[in-house]
Amino acid sequence: MVARRLTITGRVQGVGFRPFLHRLAHDTGVRGWVRNVAGRVEAHVEGPAESVAAFVAGVTAQAPPLARPRLETDVEGVPGGAAEFRILGSGEGSPDQASVPPDHFACDDCLAEMRDPHARRHRYPFINCTQCGPRYTIIDHLPYDRPNTSMAGFPLCPECRAEYENPLDRRFHAQPLACAACGPRLEFRAPGVEPVTGNEPALAACVAALRAGRVVAAKGIGGYHLLCDAASAAAVARLRANKPRPHKPLAVLVPQAGADGLDGVRAVAAPEPAHAAALADPMRPIVLTPVRPTAPLAEGIAPGLGEVGLMLPYSPLHHLLLEAFGGPLVATSANLSGEPVLTDAGAVESRLGRVAEGYLHHDRPIRRPADDAVYRVIRGRPRPIRPGRGGAPLELELSRPVARPVLAVGGQMKNTIALAWGRRAVVSPHIGELGAPRSQAVFEQVVTDLQALYGVRAERVACDAHPDYSASRWARGCGLPVIPVFHHHAHAAALAGERGLDEALLVFAWDGTGYGADGTLWGGEALLGRPGGWERVGALRPFRLPGGDKAGRQPWRSALALAWETGSDWDAAPGDRALLRAAWERGLNTPLSSAAGRLFDAAAAWVLGITEASFEGQGPMWLEAAATGALADTAPAVPLIRDESGLWRSDWAPLVPWLQDAGLPAQVRAAGFHAALAGALLDQARAVRHDCGVTRVGLTGGVFQNRLLTELAADRLEADGFEVLLHERVPANDAGISFGQIVEATAAD
Amino acid sequence: MEFSHISLAHGNGGRFMRELITGLFARHLGNPWLDTDVDAARVPIGDHGEIVVTTDGFTVQPLEFPGGNIGSLAVHGTVNDLAVAGARPLYLTLNAFIEEGLELAQLERFLAAMSAAATEAAVHIVAGDTKVVPRGQGSGVYFATTGIGVREHGIELGMGRILPGDRVLVSGPVGDHGTAVMLAREEFGLRGDLASDAASVLPVTQALLGVPGLRFMRDPTRGGLATVVHEIAHATGATVRLQEPDIPVRDPVRSVCEMLGYDPMYLACEGRVVSVVAPESADAALAAMRSVGCPEAAIVGEVAAGRAQAVLVTELGGERLLEELEDDPLPRIC
Ligand SMILES: [Fe+3]
Ligand SMILES: [Mg+2]
Ligand SMILES: [Zn+2]
Ligand SMILES: [Zn+2]
Repeated sequence: MVARRLTITGRVQGVGFRPFLHRLAHDTGVRGWVRNVAGRVEAHVEGPAESVAAFVAGVTAQAPPLARPRLETDVEGVPGGAAEFRILGSGEGSPDQASVPPDHFACDDCLAEMRDPHARRHRYPFINCTQCGPRYTIIDHLPYDRPNTSMAGFPLCPECRAEYENPLDRRFHAQPLACAACGPRLEFRAPGVEPVTGNEPALAACVAALRAGRVVAAKGIGGYHLLCDAASAAAVARLRANKPRPHKPLAVLVPQAGADGLDGVRAVAAPEPAHAAALADPMRPIVLTPVRPTAPLAEGIAPGLGEVGLMLPYSPLHHLLLEAFGGPLVATSANLSGEPVLTDAGAVESRLGRVAEGYLHHDRPIRRPADDAVYRVIRGRPRPIRPGRGGAPLELELSRPVARPVLAVGGQMKNTIALAWGRRAVVSPHIGELGAPRSQAVFEQVVTDLQALYGVRAERVACDAHPDYSASRWARGCGLPVIPVFHHHAHAAALAGERGLDEALLVFAWDGTGYGADGTLWGGEALLGRPGGWERVGALRPFRLPGGDKAGRQPWRSALALAWETGSDWDAAPGDRALLRAAWERGLNTPLSSAAGRLFDAAAAWVLGITEASFEGQGPMWLEAAATGALADTAPAVPLIRDESGLWRSDWAPLVPWLQDAGLPAQVRAAGFHAALAGALLDQARAVRHDCGVTRVGLTGGVFQNRLLTELAADRLEADGFEVLLHERVPANDAGISFGQIVEATAAD
Repeated sequence: MEFSHISLAHGNGGRFMRELITGLFARHLGNPWLDTDVDAARVPIGDHGEIVVTTDGFTVQPLEFPGGNIGSLAVHGTVNDLAVAGARPLYLTLNAFIEEGLELAQLERFLAAMSAAATEAAVHIVAGDTKVVPRGQGSGVYFATTGIGVREHGIELGMGRILPGDRVLVSGPVGDHGTAVMLAREEFGLRGDLASDAASVLPVTQALLGVPGLRFMRDPTRGGLATVVHEIAHATGATVRLQEPDIPVRDPVRSVCEMLGYDPMYLACEGRVVSVVAPESADAALAAMRSVGCPEAAIVGEVAAGRAQAVLVTELGGERLLEELEDDPLPRIC
């Protein structure tokens, strides 16, 4: 007879871990107890030595799919003569070792039960178990128990209670557990029509509206979607016109069908194995997937692009909707441009009344928004574009512990926030573009919630060095010591930090502008060093951006800037060019920038005529799509010059007339531009390697969401003997800034 | 006068200075209460009112711009500060800081404009002081004015009186002054369609004072309309929501701002009034302003319970926070 005392950390709450240990104890023949304590699980087991050993081995080896257990301690215990294995009540304590479980897709068991006409939860849209269902979006606070969630308002019926209390049931302590008798319900509303209540009638009314080509705002897990028939050009056009959202690509929900569930995907797209794997991931993200030219999708879904964002249904409600509708549905976040997704029926009806023609509500409150996560496959692996539902909060392990808890408030666009303590860092889901009241309110809520959920109080705040970012203003007013971090230092540190790297590396941080250490707007930088110690060793030739902030949505300004900078002009620029020129010459609202994103804008303006962008990144994205399939190496080389300060500068000037050469096909110019920038990047890397011997190169910043550029650059770097690092867990774009701020701000700890 | 330019000597307290003041300042600005031999004037006040005093410095560049110059501005600015406080301005004092080398003819133009503005507003400039600074230590001329006015009993105005539901109004298009001055400063060439709005707002404030339910008035000078509503929000702890389509902005101002990347909400006005009135008085306030030559006056927003924030609602229902102006706006787009 031996006894062991175990402490298990990691993701062990909200995932059916204690019932699993109960079954494991039964299977291995040990006795004792298990309990939750402050985010950890503590267990005491006793029995024959081989039984106890089998139990201990099984704790990690046989854990349920959602669990991520870590055996923190395993010490000898004193046998107490336990007669059985019991699950004890939760202990008190700080939850700072807890994991907040993400919202999980409907598991196979629940789906089978939902489709079983004899099952109690036949066609129940909110079916779930310990292995699936909402988590992050319904938790008020830890410990994760039903009264601490938005399910508190749904008293369990006797049948559900019996399941909830039975340690051998797969719904034992499934906190969002519900059934049609006691749980959340659907309601369908449309202007001028009596509300349709009851799950089946509401669902039927919603499907009828979709079939009729209407746009329906439907409540999901982390917020509302705007849904419409993805095959109906008229429905898509009306959604776009009323939102308004003329060009930004729309995501599409495809039915889960076939042996691997991906028949619906293959009907519209040509997924590579990496796309298929990412689509089927438990996170059920949106995956940008190469679309078939003949796909039965309306033309306006992703204009100008070769990929469309696809997603499999992830909640039982979405499964029911897709099955009843029988085809792909546009499913785009229900929000106003750039703001966090809407979660509340009243707000959706009042703020989206112009675009939604019907509403599918339900009465399970969403405590905090979580947009769908977005991934793009680059170099054969899914790379995060947007952290969100199913993967949030994102948990990362730091290579070294931080001295005191730190909150990082992120950037202005694609804002996320991050919190770090000990060796743990957690990143919030995508919040959105700050500067709107709702963004600010959600930002502040998530700042408060993240600390409360993990029981960690930040003692300092890291923010972007840009004085005018909304989050930086908030940081200055919050009363804690503030650590400003330069934008591109944060990008570089995010990449180093997600790999736990502490050795020197060369990072190309290319994006659309951020406040640089010399007071100019960086965005095409080569940084050498490690977190806490970056040296700018390379950059693009700087240029003055006429109209400052306006350049972000008006690519013609970048084109004009490059033309003027090289002594030429560009007639196609709209407006009073003489006035702008006068301002440009006098330096009036014309900040100096070295941003690669703005070079892409200029190229898109010249090659594709995109003078105005209706969404962030439109020019670069369309330019990449336009380049697909063309031979690349026809553009003039980009000279590399060492400037007086010792900085390697790539001079894009030879590209300016070449990109404007209407005698060359757009495809050739688009591809040549990508190749020229990849070549410039390689030249910089070689020059820096020659100077200091560095061989490890990272690519980060929003520009490296561009698959073509990233793969060209990475292939050439590797062929030249460099080791190339790309993001795998944290987005390369500004959604990764908060994590980078953590890494950079705590490098000196 | 035997000189054509200001010299350092004109600020030394000797003869030259006396001649400058008596021969120029007093000639333009003289009145029964102005005594150039003393540093302070005793001024009579009304029987039933209270004294309101304000002072302001003027350093605008360029000194002359379409629609005004630093002289008229020095009067309008101080008169307007008194006017929006609910007072009737009576007297001003003037400080002039003149840079060595300023052309006398130009200085005279400023004083003429100043005189005209004062006459229009029925104020008297009753005291003054002149300093001359060495070449390179000034920008031609700086003025500082102090104003004294009276406010009748029973006029109670202030941000503290603002309540949720109140309406926010402006007396005319915003951003004219900031745009005109910026273009003139950068010597972008004359544009016939752009001029400063610099003017006395007394007719507007007097008209509004007759509207029951008037809570507060302010002239949106430096920092523009956005800065005033930001201040209101933070002083009252409420949300001020402006409707962008309702805010009057002249087309030339809009197009210059659009081209150069400026936000008219943050550009200075020198002849406008932002007022807050009880909801039931909003139409009366609008009519009162229109009756005194403000055809473009508009109800532009309202105060709502909620957190302290200034919000601009766009035509499409999007919302943008109007944050406090930073010194040097830099692009934030990444
Ligand atoms: Fe960035
Ligand atoms: Mg003033
Ligand atoms: Zn399940
Ligand atoms: Zn039930």
